[in-house]
Amino acid sequence: MATLRFNSLTGTLEKNSTSFFSSNPRLCWAYFQCNNKGERRASRMTVKAMGAAKYKGTQMREKKLTEMIEKKVTEAKQVCEGDETSDECKVAWDEVEEVSQAKADLRLRLEIEKKDPLESFCQENPETEECKIYED
Amino acid sequence: MAVCSAYTTQSLNSTCSISTPAKTHLGFHQKEVVFYRRSSKRGGSGSSSGPCVITCSAGDSQTVVIGLAADSGCGKSTFMRRLTSVFGGAAEPPKGGNPDSNTLISDMTTVICLDDYHSLDRTGRKEKGVTALDPRANDFDLMYEQVKAIKSGVAVDKPIYNHVTGLLDPPELIKPPKILVIEGLHPMFDERVRDLLDFSIYLDISNEVKFAWKIQRDMAERGHSLESIKASIEARKPDFDAYIDPQKKYADAVIEVLPTQLIPDDNEGKVLRVRLIMKEGVKHFSPVYLFDEGSTISWIPCGRKLTCSYPGIKFHYGPDTYFGNEVSILEMDGQFDRLDELIYVESHLSNISTKFYGEVTQQMLKHADFPGSNNGTGLFQTIVGLKIRDLYEQITSSKTAAPLEATKA
Repeated sequence: MATLRFNSLTGTLEKNSTSFFSSNPRLCWAYFQCNNKGERRASRMTVKAMGAAKYKGTQMREKKLTEMIEKKVTEAKQVCEGDETSDECKVAWDEVEEVSQAKADLRLRLEIEKKDPLESFCQENPETEECKIYED
Repeated sequence: MAVCSAYTTQSLNSTCSISTPAKTHLGFHQKEVVFYRRSSKRGGSGSSSGPCVITCSAGDSQTVVIGLAADSGCGKSTFMRRLTSVFGGAAEPPKGGNPDSNTLISDMTTVICLDDYHSLDRTGRKEKGVTALDPRANDFDLMYEQVKAIKSGVAVDKPIYNHVTGLLDPPELIKPPKILVIEGLHPMFDERVRDLLDFSIYLDISNEVKFAWKIQRDMAERGHSLESIKASIEARKPDFDAYIDPQKKYADAVIEVLPTQLIPDDNEGKVLRVRLIMKEGVKHFSPVYLFDEGSTISWIPCGRKLTCSYPGIKFHYGPDTYFGNEVSILEMDGQFDRLDELIYVESHLSNISTKFYGEVTQQMLKHADFPGSNNGTGLFQTIVGLKIRDLYEQITSSKTAAPLEATKA
């Protein structure tokens, strides 16, 4: 039975309602209702657990990229407020593109190839922090 | 496959026997085969009884180099996967090396990502105010030296650009493969690198399709919205138009992806119109054609023999000029829904360099889960893969043929 852990920025998340599981226990769709500071937010988020993430290192990269995307979009919006045609603005959005693509590549690898990118690295270095098996 | 060139001052009519030294105790390289001439008489005056040395160079010391210009990240694109699959085997990152390496290695091919030649890392680019698209962020001298070295059979220590950290990591060893693919934003930007390429491809995605694809890619990400996706594309456009787009006139093949004309006002980017623009007169490359080479054809395969569902499939073929070059353009609009549509279309295309009937269909089916597997992008990428295989085989067989001609003379 797969448990989905959710790191939310605000408030706490209640795992509730129905969860649909496919035959692959790591891939499931779940509907959540967010309990944000006592108020029920009716937003339903569809969550798809990344196909084959097995190692902690991959998990960490996914998380890092997700956070970077959010951070860099915010930065870009701030930088571009002054002048949209400035070099700083171009560079800021280019960074957003770079991390968005990196995240998408990781997702593609896990979903289509169904292989953890750290697979061969972890065969050789099983004792490193990155190669701890992610508890599913 | 070894190619041996014989260098000797005397004719080879004398009894020479071939012996490959088992050990290199004589100081010969593994690639040298030594002919020993048996002298019938002792102390034959005047005749030099020295061994004639024949140096063999293994066929793969001349690597075939392919350039692919694409804005879609590198080494991980579906085009690369399809290409390596045509040659057999799956492309994997180098075993045991840096887990954030962008390189992909299969039996025949090595794909290197040109981002590895960034001269400025993410912080450096921010300081100087240049995007990754800007040539100032890339070390073309190093790119040229290393591609040249690999092409002539010398392994190199190539830097690694880590897309997660944004830093330049310690280099990894790249051994010369049979086929080297350099993928990235600037494979044809530098003239010296361009001259090293045996074949080059440019993936030209129109703005509307790019927008639709990036929406699909990014909308699920926290932080992104339609506005941010649009802003990112807009902000990168000036540099893209200035530095990346002009490369397409140098490409031997351009795959242009446009919105469909079959569905009015379609903006989902799911049904696509894809044009394969092939340069005429390229060595070892004969363009794909429909029915009658050099003529202009409009073809709708759906009809009595083949039933297609909405919006159907439409083909166009004909000669044209593209940035001053003579080209042939094969165009497909629509999508495949069923296997028999694909095989039907394949059977009507000519010069697709397949080794057996149905090879294109088989390759497409093998990767049915890849994006573009039901439309012209997958079809033309697969066909270009087969053309590259054909080009590779022609180049390597012409290299073995030439020295044989010389010895006959």
